[in-house]
Amino acid sequence: MKRSLTLFVLMVLVSFTLFAGGKQEASQPAQEEVQTITFWYHFDDPETALTPLIQKFERENPNIKVEAVRIPWDSYNQRLLTAVTGGNPPDVAQVKLWWQPQLVELGALEPLDPWLANWSGKNDIYDRVWELTKFTDGKQYLMPLQMVILYMYYRVDMFNELGLQIPKTRAEFLDVAKKLTRDTNGDGEPDVYGFGIRGARGGHDWWGTFVLSSGAQFFDSNGNSGLTTPEAIAANQWFIDLYRVHKVSPPTTPNDGFREIIANMQSGKTAMTIHHIGSAQGMVDALGDKISAFPVPAGTEGRWTSFGDEENAIFSASRAKDAAWKWVSFLATAENNAIWQKSSGQVSINKSNADMDFGELNRFMKATTDSAPFAGVLPAHPATAEFVETVWPATMQRAFLGEITSAQMMQTFADLYAGK
Amino acid sequence: MTHMKRKNDLYPYALLSPAMLVTLIIIFIPMIYTFGLSFFNYVIWKPNEIRFVFLGNYAKALSDEIFRISFKNTLVWIVGVIGMQLLLGLAAALLLNRNFVWRGLARSLILIPWVTPSVITALMWRWMYDGNSGVINDLLVRMGILNHYVPFLANNHTALPAIMVALMWQGFPFFAVMILAGLQAIPAELYEVADVDGARPVQKFFFITLPMITPILLTTILLRTIWVANSLDIIFIMTGGGPGYASHTLPLYSYIRAYKGLDFGYASTIAVYLTMLLVAIVTLYVIRILRGEERPR
Repeated sequence: MKRSLTLFVLMVLVSFTLFAGGKQEASQPAQEEVQTITFWYHFDDPETALTPLIQKFERENPNIKVEAVRIPWDSYNQRLLTAVTGGNPPDVAQVKLWWQPQLVELGALEPLDPWLANWSGKNDIYDRVWELTKFTDGKQYLMPLQMVILYMYYRVDMFNELGLQIPKTRAEFLDVAKKLTRDTNGDGEPDVYGFGIRGARGGHDWWGTFVLSSGAQFFDSNGNSGLTTPEAIAANQWFIDLYRVHKVSPPTTPNDGFREIIANMQSGKTAMTIHHIGSAQGMVDALGDKISAFPVPAGTEGRWTSFGDEENAIFSASRAKDAAWKWVSFLATAENNAIWQKSSGQVSINKSNADMDFGELNRFMKATTDSAPFAGVLPAHPATAEFVETVWPATMQRAFLGEITSAQMMQTFADLYAGK
Repeated sequence: MTHMKRKNDLYPYALLSPAMLVTLIIIFIPMIYTFGLSFFNYVIWKPNEIRFVFLGNYAKALSDEIFRISFKNTLVWIVGVIGMQLLLGLAAALLLNRNFVWRGLARSLILIPWVTPSVITALMWRWMYDGNSGVINDLLVRMGILNHYVPFLANNHTALPAIMVALMWQGFPFFAVMILAGLQAIPAELYEVADVDGARPVQKFFFITLPMITPILLTTILLRTIWVANSLDIIFIMTGGGPGYASHTLPLYSYIRAYKGLDFGYASTIAVYLTMLLVAIVTLYVIRILRGEERPR
């Protein structure tokens, strides 16, 4: 009994000291009102660019402190939405375009238009980027940060060896892919596959390149689903056949994700695949001059490739919105944006960075800029997040494995977008 | 005296209360909350559409193809994994119960799969199964069992069995250790008497060993069933539930609905269905055990 009493008294004393400490800190007169903004980001190597950028920003804005929090990519969206619904989002977060509909629906984002009206840097950002990032309600919630445009990697040495030309249409592409799929060691099994398809999460960009360019569209001009038309189903069938009928993609395709796609290309298991300049340095490190890139081939209705984006958003729950604006506009200014891109390996959104020298990556930069005219995005619709995260991968895999038909696959997507 | 006694009676409860309180806060309250959520249409990013739908989610699950696939896979998963772990664990325990050099070392080494973190187990097996350069494919092709590499985890027929093998490897040491403890508690006299009676090894196993370790087997199976039914980390890392829905189980489906679809209402319903399945299994099991004990020996 005596012992517990002593313990209790001790605890009380300790807590008093704790509170007293806190109080003392709070009551210390601030020399100047210093605002702290939290910034969520998810890119891989923060040391190289982010820390110097924060230091530079804090030098220029002595009253603002940036607290950068790195969130793992795999759970980024989920944690952001949980933080928003929990009422405690960061002040600023790096976001993707296809999260925008959900975040707007939640009322989580602060429109940037009042600040943008007086911001001198506005005209230095590509008009197309402003177009793509503007929300359907006409407001601008997202501040552009970086972009990529997907192109086709190819093995120059294999093309030369077989005397192949760069394919301009999907028919030429199939022909080239078939020729590149070869048994090089005579065991009766192909050792090189013409085209590495990403069948796991994230592979919708591979799918879109061939299906959205050949008659399929999420919504037609009347707002009806354009996914279940005969042309759309045929385009989808053509894509499924790359794996099932022509077998120009490795047998592991249904489960291949980012890592497998890149590793297969680097090890010579595949001769072509789709990705963006973010992976170019790794490709060059592994393959040197043997790898290059070209804009994706045209489908029956023209070309389509994926515009990969990254923006910053200010959250409406933030109590330091002006400070947050200073940080997002700081990052979207040419000089700072160039520093950011050096470590993200992606492309600046600023016109005045257009002639940035990419050195040995210039040929990939050319494929990127050549693809800009037909780069598109998935619809600004709340269902897109689920389409990308779960529905596309699972449905595509089932179609690849022959569990469902092309028509059933497209119907699943149409149902998702119709809210069924 | 009476005062003293009452105080003593309360004392154990006082000691237990912190643990009970923590259990209440982190287990029971979320559990009841989940049960409540399962009656709601509750998608995190649609705050305006949150409403009470009573059994709506439960009815939806019954006509949901993915739910049916997951339910079937869960049953295959529980029976298959527990069965394989039990057999392998029993074999390992019988071996380790014999006298041989380095027995102590073997007994410690067998625990390695059990103490390896799930994430590492999953990543390791994923690489071993790899369809392009995996060691399992390489060995099978070299031995002539396969004539070309098989993408085990990208095939809808092999994905779930392949993951089950990985989980069997991870979990069998627990069975082995528990059974070994049981084996060592069997009095040696029983075997000596059996020897005198001229019993063969198989007879000794079925008439002495097995009945003596049955209580331990039953408890271990029960524990493992609950753990295995709930485990989703290894599946999530190895295939993410794919290809398609080929390796979806109920806990995984619930997880994906909650954290990828942010549909917490429906995810809770799936979790409640899983709980009902487990409660049914456990109840049947306990009833059987009780009946077994009532029977005169």
